[in-house]
Amino acid sequence: MSTSSHVAALSVTSLNKKYGNFEVIKDLDLHIERGSIHGLVGLNGSGKTTTIECILGLQPRNGGSISVLGYQPEHLHKASGKVVAVFDTPSLHPNLTVRQCLDHARLLCEKPVRTAEELEVLLGIDRFSNFKIRHLSLGNKRRASIAQALLGEPEFMVLDEPFNGLDAEGVDDVLDLITTLNRREGTTFLLSSHQLPYLEQICSHIAILHQGAIAVSNDVASLLQQSITSIRLKTPHQEHAITLLQSYPEANYLKTDREGYLHIEINESSSALLNQFLVENKVLVSEMILQRASLASLFREITSEHPT
Amino acid sequence: MNGFGIALRAEIFVALRSFASKLIVLAPSIIVVLQYSVIKVTETGQQARDSLLGTSNFDSAVANSGYGYFVDGLTTGLTMLSLLLVGQAAHSFSYERDVGTIRHLFIRRISRANLIVAKLVNIHILAILSVLLLLAVSYVLSGLFWDFGAIVEDGFELIGEAEIQAEIRLGLRLAIIPIPAAIAFGLLVSVCTQSATQAVTIALGITLAIDIFKGLLGDFSHYLYATFQPSLLDQSYLRDVSRIVRGYSDVLVDERLQQLNMWVPLPALLLFLVAAIWIVRRRKV
Repeated sequence: MSTSSHVAALSVTSLNKKYGNFEVIKDLDLHIERGSIHGLVGLNGSGKTTTIECILGLQPRNGGSISVLGYQPEHLHKASGKVVAVFDTPSLHPNLTVRQCLDHARLLCEKPVRTAEELEVLLGIDRFSNFKIRHLSLGNKRRASIAQALLGEPEFMVLDEPFNGLDAEGVDDVLDLITTLNRREGTTFLLSSHQLPYLEQICSHIAILHQGAIAVSNDVASLLQQSITSIRLKTPHQEHAITLLQSYPEANYLKTDREGYLHIEINESSSALLNQFLVENKVLVSEMILQRASLASLFREITSEHPT
Repeated sequence: MNGFGIALRAEIFVALRSFASKLIVLAPSIIVVLQYSVIKVTETGQQARDSLLGTSNFDSAVANSGYGYFVDGLTTGLTMLSLLLVGQAAHSFSYERDVGTIRHLFIRRISRANLIVAKLVNIHILAILSVLLLLAVSYVLSGLFWDFGAIVEDGFELIGEAEIQAEIRLGLRLAIIPIPAAIAFGLLVSVCTQSATQAVTIALGITLAIDIFKGLLGDFSHYLYATFQPSLLDQSYLRDVSRIVRGYSDVLVDERLQQLNMWVPLPALLLFLVAAIWIVRRRKV
């Protein structure tokens, strides 16, 4: 059982999982290199949490192989705290205080590198140190969960919906924390979230899970290059503009919405030329809004191709 | 420290801060204190009436036996403790699964088998503390309110002190031996069920059902792990001991049943424990 730096942080091959006769995960392959921040996105019910639970050995799988830092999920406890997780629900003892929860987690930590006090300050929950978990807001419970995970020196962190319930400041803190840990300590992250803009901001890689399989997985820059840029355009000469657009080779007229905007698919670098072309052909352009490719647009493209 | 040691420390850490653990340790003794207080008040009134009327009978002669009340207190306390322990065992794993804390334990440094054994040991520690406290409270209060000694009627010793103590030791042994099996049964229910509420309801429901059906099962009931376990019904050997130490001689206990009760609980404990570990290794948490 090796945990050397040559071993991938996570390697999932042909993972299959069924609930009764329903196939939730179908031949899922996922490979995460050490030091990356990998986002896992998907619609509700696409199998994100099930995938994470299989990776962490929390539920049996029906087929396929999984290796987390070189360990089988069933033997993850032998990784001595190198793998930690923050779940979509806070997963803390409701009748313990924040400090007691951290002290309890410390017992499970082979080599604690941070004190409970440090983590409370870092996560902004030092004011609530003596509060019972059941008296905390969802956001503060999540901060406490993250604090618990950071007591040791994790090499691989799995965060399931880490931004749920957090206010804007909390989200910023968590984003900063993830980036800092990744840069300074080389911690590898697997983030599952519906908050696509946040993932786009920090992830080096994204995998889109759709209908139980990975539809797309690549580094963020490459993924965004694949995605389409579009513009929204408003003109008093709508019909003439549509006729012109249909003959313009570098643009693809898509539709006219209820507010009268023409939606056009176009390469970002050609948008100025399109504007010039329309003006030269006596079409006045009153508004032209560039909609750059984003993870959200790519996600919509992929999930709408094969609706569930 | 190995996985079991870590698991046990983590269990004890939570137990020291939980209301349920305090309840298990203290509740049987508190109930016994209340029981003795009520009996003492009632008896004082009765004695006052008897002395006014000038009546005295066999019952009043044995009424002052401290040993009899000591055993009564143990019966009440152990009956309550057994139910609390079954409930706590059923609650232990299922509650942690409900709130999600079990997932952290498994991912970090504790195997499933180690966690189950640690929970079993932790509940046994609570049981031992509770029994010790119960013994101390019952002994001190029954000695304070009544007198320990042989049962003597009209100058004739019905039962000697050494014999009384031997009977109490036997009754206590028979009552305590099935408790670990009852705890393991609670744990087995805990890993099988879907929620803590379901686990506690089923575990207590089955325990009470067994208690009720013991009377209907005839000789077969002796093979159940809880034949002599302190019972809500009059099935416990401790209740017989309570009569023996008061000088009643109409108590007959089959030696075969005593032997069964000594040896059936241990295999039952192992069976429940192995089944619990086997199930927890295979199911989603």
